[in-house]
Amino acid sequence: MNIYLPIAELSVNIFIILSLGGAVGFLSGMLGLGGGFLMTPLLMFIGIPPNVAVATSANQIVAASVSGALSHWRQGLVDVKMGMYLLAGGLFGSYTGIWIFKLLTSAGQIETFLSIVYFILLFSIGILMLVESSQVIRDRIRKKTVKRKLHYHNWAHRLPFKVRFYASNLYISVIPPIIIGYFIGILSATMGIGGSFILIPSMIYFLGMPTSKVIGTSLFQIIFITAFVTLLHATSTFAVDAVLAFTLILSSVIGAQLGVLFTNKFRGEELRALLAIIVLAVAFKIGVDLLIQPADIFSITVIKELY
Amino acid sequence: MKNILTILISLFLYQGSANALVIGSDLDEITIGANFSGQDLLVFGAFYSDPSLPRDAKGDVIIEVKGPPQTIQVRRKKSFFGFWLNNTEVTFKEVPGFYYLTSTAEINDEVLAKNNITLLTPQDTQEIEWGKIRMPKDRHDFLNAMKRNKNNLDLFAINSDSAQIDILDGNLFKTNIPIPNTVPIGNYTVSVYLLINSELKKDYEYGFKVKRIGIESMIHNLAINFPLIYGLLAVLLAGLMGWISAEMFRRLRKL
Repeated sequence: MNIYLPIAELSVNIFIILSLGGAVGFLSGMLGLGGGFLMTPLLMFIGIPPNVAVATSANQIVAASVSGALSHWRQGLVDVKMGMYLLAGGLFGSYTGIWIFKLLTSAGQIETFLSIVYFILLFSIGILMLVESSQVIRDRIRKKTVKRKLHYHNWAHRLPFKVRFYASNLYISVIPPIIIGYFIGILSATMGIGGSFILIPSMIYFLGMPTSKVIGTSLFQIIFITAFVTLLHATSTFAVDAVLAFTLILSSVIGAQLGVLFTNKFRGEELRALLAIIVLAVAFKIGVDLLIQPADIFSITVIKELY
Repeated sequence: MKNILTILISLFLYQGSANALVIGSDLDEITIGANFSGQDLLVFGAFYSDPSLPRDAKGDVIIEVKGPPQTIQVRRKKSFFGFWLNNTEVTFKEVPGFYYLTSTAEINDEVLAKNNITLLTPQDTQEIEWGKIRMPKDRHDFLNAMKRNKNNLDLFAINSDSAQIDILDGNLFKTNIPIPNTVPIGNYTVSVYLLINSELKKDYEYGFKVKRIGIESMIHNLAINFPLIYGLLAVLLAGLMGWISAEMFRRLRKL
């Protein structure tokens, strides 16, 4: 059965979209990751134009992050003040990101840009996850327990404009959260991701936030960043496809809940190793597409007189 | 029904001319709704001439379908340190968003060229922004690349190299023109030409519309005309769906 996407202006098989949303939702529910970094490239693989893939993926993440943030919120695991500073940087970042996106689109390089950044991103995430999870698995087999530092004191603690973050038990400068938020905003607007996989480690290592508050706080700020990115794309690239977003949200929320159920059945590190392999496979496909001479070195774009 | 009536009226009106055509079509509108996956446009007609005339004397029919004009950018990739990146670009203006040519027999390219039956007529080719592309061979490559890519999307086909239109009973002809799901929205023209002794005349022209209907059309109009409201609605809907799903599954788990 086909479904017509009014903004992408093409009809696609609805079952492909549903299974894509379901699969990405399942992985994100199982591993507690957003999944935007898989959603956008997979949408592009099935022939959705890159601008629609990015803008619609941001729209879909709004739903995923609201759903995830709520449970953290109920348990009091959101540092709202920190979220606000991240958000302040993030709003400016998404504005910059949209500007970059439009610049690259008019130069005809947006597709290549997305391929390169997604390749770098997915390749590094995949390798990091593979190394980390295999280490944990090896340590488990050797029955070794690894002690981790709880708090990192680094350059971020020596900057001015210090503010007390009671929820996170921190007294740090507001500059690092604003800068981190800014970069996440750029990534979100250009790539259609929430950016939690960069945000979460940054919050732990650069800001020294307690691990328990990190996921909730990152989800909290991702809601607003992706909502803002959706608005920016809707008003400047006109590429948010509500029908595609609706179909993806419907399937991904169900997939995510099934994924959560599965989490308890498997060990986290084994699941992460599995995801690492999937991520590397996607990275490999993108990399090969960049390096192999395309079947047709010419491509066409229809210019819409909208911008 | 309406079309059959048109034919009858036309038959009456055409009395007196030695060779003419009458044409009908099954659609004057193609609507794109939720499960549009392309559609065939049936074009049919009859030679209005003495039925006793031999087939050759009645001439051949060429049907040309043109979609709304578009601006198309064609880009050529080049290898930079092993990476294939878009390099040079050419902009074609006023290119029909859909082009389809079909005929009752093989038609000589010269006849078509002489009568400006082609994707880009010489007037249109002045609308091409060649940019850095100066060599005639390169320009030819870009033009062909545009045709090839549109052909891959089923938006461009020239079938005048063989007889594609069925002739029934010596006097009647009909053909199906495949309109793909990637078809652009807008006004289309169907031109029918009659070719007798390599003399070509445009005999008939009519238009049809491709438009969106239903919720697809509402969504598209909202997104284009009121993008801020559309964006806010998209965000609200997503937020609401996220919230509802979280609540629903929380309650389910408690059961």
